[in-house]
Amino acid sequence: MIRHCRITLIVCAAMSVGHTFACAEESSRIRFTTDVVSVLTKLGCNSGGCHGKATGQNGFKLSLLGFEPEFDYQAIVKESRGRRILPAAPERSLVLVKATNQKPHGGGQRTSVGSEEYEILRRWIADGVVAPAADDPVVERITMSPREQVMENRASEALLVTAHFSDGTSRDVTRQAVYESNEPEIASVESNGLVRTHDRTGLFSVMVRYGGSIATFHAAVPLQATGQPQSEIEARLKHLEQNLTSPVEQSLIRQWKRLGITPSEPADDATFLRRVSVDICGTLPTRKEVEDYVADTDMEKRNRLIDRLLDRPEYASNFCLKWADILRNRGSGYATSKQRPGTALFSGWIRDSLAANKPYDQFVAEIITASGDQNENPPAIWYRQVRTQADYVESVAQAFLGVRIQCAQCHHHPFDRWSQADYYGLAAVFSRVGRKGGFADAEVPTNEVIYLKDKGDVLHPRSGRLMRPKALGGPEFPLTGYDDPRRSLARWMVAPENPFFARTMVNRTWAHFHGRGIIHPIDDARDSNPPTNPELLDALAAEFVTSGYDIKHLIRVICNSYSYGLKATPNDLNGDDSQTFARFYPRRLSAEVLLDGISQVLEVPTQFAGGPGSLPPGTRAIDLPDENVPVSFLDVFGRPARTSSCECERVDAPSLAQALTLINSAEIQRKLTAETGYAAQLAANERTHVENSTDIFLRLLGREPDRMELQAATDFLKSEEDRGEAYRSLLWSLLATNEFMFNH
Amino acid sequence: MLRADGTSFQNCDGVTRRNFLQVGAPVLGLSLAGLLRSETLAAAPTASHSRKSIIVFWTHGGMSQQDTYDMKPEAPAEYRGMYTPIETTVPGIIVGERFPQQAKIMHHLSQVRSVHHDNGIHAPSAHWMQTGHFGPTLARIGQQQPSFGSVISRSLGPQQPQMPAYVAVPKAEAFGYQRAHYLGKAYNPFDVGADPNGEDFKVPNLSLPGDLKLSSINTRRRLLAQFDTIRRDIDRSGVMDGLDTFKAQALEMVAGDHVREAFDISKEDPKLRDRYGRHQYGQSALLARRLVEAGTRCVTVNTGYWDHHDNIESGLEEHLPPLDRAIGALVEDLVERDMLDDVLIYCAGEFGRTPLMNGHAGRDHWSNCFTVMLAGGGIQGGRVVGASEKWGGGVKERLTSPLDVLATIYQTLGIPLELHYEDSTGRPVSIIDSGRPIRELL
Repeated sequence: MIRHCRITLIVCAAMSVGHTFACAEESSRIRFTTDVVSVLTKLGCNSGGCHGKATGQNGFKLSLLGFEPEFDYQAIVKESRGRRILPAAPERSLVLVKATNQKPHGGGQRTSVGSEEYEILRRWIADGVVAPAADDPVVERITMSPREQVMENRASEALLVTAHFSDGTSRDVTRQAVYESNEPEIASVESNGLVRTHDRTGLFSVMVRYGGSIATFHAAVPLQATGQPQSEIEARLKHLEQNLTSPVEQSLIRQWKRLGITPSEPADDATFLRRVSVDICGTLPTRKEVEDYVADTDMEKRNRLIDRLLDRPEYASNFCLKWADILRNRGSGYATSKQRPGTALFSGWIRDSLAANKPYDQFVAEIITASGDQNENPPAIWYRQVRTQADYVESVAQAFLGVRIQCAQCHHHPFDRWSQADYYGLAAVFSRVGRKGGFADAEVPTNEVIYLKDKGDVLHPRSGRLMRPKALGGPEFPLTGYDDPRRSLARWMVAPENPFFARTMVNRTWAHFHGRGIIHPIDDARDSNPPTNPELLDALAAEFVTSGYDIKHLIRVICNSYSYGLKATPNDLNGDDSQTFARFYPRRLSAEVLLDGISQVLEVPTQFAGGPGSLPPGTRAIDLPDENVPVSFLDVFGRPARTSSCECERVDAPSLAQALTLINSAEIQRKLTAETGYAAQLAANERTHVENSTDIFLRLLGREPDRMELQAATDFLKSEEDRGEAYRSLLWSLLATNEFMFNH
Repeated sequence: MLRADGTSFQNCDGVTRRNFLQVGAPVLGLSLAGLLRSETLAAAPTASHSRKSIIVFWTHGGMSQQDTYDMKPEAPAEYRGMYTPIETTVPGIIVGERFPQQAKIMHHLSQVRSVHHDNGIHAPSAHWMQTGHFGPTLARIGQQQPSFGSVISRSLGPQQPQMPAYVAVPKAEAFGYQRAHYLGKAYNPFDVGADPNGEDFKVPNLSLPGDLKLSSINTRRRLLAQFDTIRRDIDRSGVMDGLDTFKAQALEMVAGDHVREAFDISKEDPKLRDRYGRHQYGQSALLARRLVEAGTRCVTVNTGYWDHHDNIESGLEEHLPPLDRAIGALVEDLVERDMLDDVLIYCAGEFGRTPLMNGHAGRDHWSNCFTVMLAGGGIQGGRVVGASEKWGGGVKERLTSPLDVLATIYQTLGIPLELHYEDSTGRPVSIIDSGRPIRELL
């Protein structure tokens, strides 16, 4: 039975004005856990920025988001000599006086006298501050209506949220629940559950929280096409639908149709060549590659190009860099440390695995189950940086399962289903990882031996219960003297039906090529952060599993997809799109690729620092084994420190230092002025400005200059007296263009 | 949760996207529309209209409180040290005899003599004082939280868009814990990279490399405008717009006048330069004043290494007079320019030094009770907050944590204490975990 207590409460509140509250209906008694704590959550009192943070606020601490009602009861009623509560005059209780800002409150006014939230707190105090009891009903789940909706721009939709309690009752908690939109530009949500769409189109979700449970509302705001005849758009999509029959492409097209989006035009050959060379090999195409590819008339040339690139050693280098970030192959320490041989060994193992196209399930299993001497079994070097309980749990969850479980270390995850039991169950999988030997010459010891200890327990931090090893949302594993639970975990992970493993990898790979994950951020899968195209994710995951976790096959599928071959230029019917891959989303070349690109076009390699384990001349930035090779250019352009398994540690955020590095760093100037470099060759050769300018454009931007550009370049070169300086300036200005610095 | 940075705290990636909105949007007024169009920049960050800046004198290694601000003239000789106290402009406040300049302006300076934390090792203590969090136990281990300078840089940005928000003179110190960590590299300090007292002082990052000429930069700027024509609407992430903005800013810094003049200390009257003292600390302080005047928000003047375990007298003889002269001249100069209320001055290190001299005529690490100095920025001058025990040692009155000090700084500068940012795993972390502003100073 759904009882609309909301109405009851409002009536009761109205009755209560001016005299002591007395509501006849016994069943509407205010319960601490479900009613009072929900108000504290709704008003933000127990949020991580206020009283919910680990140290509380101004001496008043609540459990984060109300996951520990007993603790909260003590804090409100007992602590501070009970001064927060005044049963004789409830409205003078400090909690109410502060929340309404009648006494100065650091958090400002959270509610007003007489509001529904105020009345719940006041009534609870007036009723004698009844403590939470063991048999109090708890929220088992919340449901919402509607759960999905197609909405127009500037429309609204009232969500109705119902809580279902352990005693079999349920009630409307729409006003008590907390809401958050994941795309506030597309739609916002008010505190009473009213969703309002704005002018933008696309997909959005609203997360609802109540009593520790979450539910999610999913909605689409399709584009209302104006101007262009509907029939033309439909014809184009229909044509695509008939010609592109793979499950991946069908799922893309179905979504475009649903949202009224028309994809951009396919990119031209030169654009595609540069794009895919950068994404697969981290390398710009040469002039010859551009000319050959553009001239090639084979219908299958795109396909063949992708295959060629996947066979190049640069493919393995480029993806090794990515995996060495995720696997935290970090070398930081004193200058004299012996970390480098190990990081080089681990990088080499990753690179070889990728070059040999080792199946992904095997690759991951070899890492997480690695034992033995780190000098002899390179994947065991993963355990160098990943060495604490938190490292084990968070790295495995984030890198391989696409889940951010960090929050559950200290409290129930606020936006997901993970509890501390899940966290410490996963930790128990690694409880018997032992270490021998090694010497401490850096942040972490070098040259350890990883082995399986006889014993090793993980206890639940609150209950003290011994935790059995357990997969995330999966089965418990046996723990006897003969079992390495890491093997059980690996078996569970790589099973075809695992809900996380393949999806995380296909999403990560899709994001690498498309600039955005289907789940985004890529390692934050949860109900409240849904994939923008679940069918697409499923289709890719199925393809990946069926192929035997074949990474190169996955890359082929993605690079051959219709969406990957689109222009970045938006049209009238997809300008808003940033979720459905209806056009290519450009991104800045990563630090290493940018530096290598500049070295390549100017024909002046970067000189990396020498010292122990020094790097041979001609080493490319994408081949550096760890982050501890001092190159300020790379740091400035966002090379990660490898302190986290999150790909988000690599940033493309622009900064002043980047611009200064481009403009007046000694390194760029050295590359422009080197005697054997490209700039010097241009200055010395006998060719015309037209020939040289054409060569410059092909080499730097992977395309011919247009007529205006050629004119501008030659006019400038002619006007300058110093031929060398003229070419240096022209080269510099093209290197600093967004066209050069971005993959587009 | 008060989301003062206006972002969803679920989104790890959002951290990086916001980085440049903060700095990028106001810069030269370019591309604001483009930035706001972007999907990832749905909400605006804290817009600050704060007029306040801060100049920090960082005494890396730990300055002795008992030879400087917290003298113990009644204590036995092995505690008292070698200096005699002198009177100041505030009756009852005495300082060490190597602080004569500060004695003359003591009515502008306040001391907190009861700062306390529990660690006696350089690295974690420096991390604690710089970031408000206990830190790595070894100097070889990197920073784990953003420094207060980076928080200031990110939350307030520069006062003048061309200027770098956060500058370190001559460069970032304190084992690297003066940097931004997960706030983003854009909020690292801009290293001046040279001693402002040097003859022919130039900022390496702003001077042109090799034989590159200013005229070439201007040519290149013109060419860039001509060729950088790729459509900007292909990128909705804001990165392209942000990069455009910074390129324009950087070209302006290198080739334009405002920034180069701010760094050009030779523009100062030689008499004023003499008043600050012709040494690194003095000229650094003067440069700091020029920078905040031109729109920088936070300047950290790093003053060498104060780890005086042996023969402390010779160490202090080297460090104290120039530090005193720099602070004294700076305060006077700011008063004369009517800027003192807008510029907070803060002098601190990771800890103080042992009250009892050791067998090598030095003092060792002491975090139980030490002194920091604050002045200007609108806070009360001439105050002493808290007290140490009779001969030094423990806190006698008003235990003050590093976070209380940072809370005071943030509040003075107009940064909301509820502000939080996401760390590299997407978790929201408050700029101040606990800690309350020192109300006696406000």
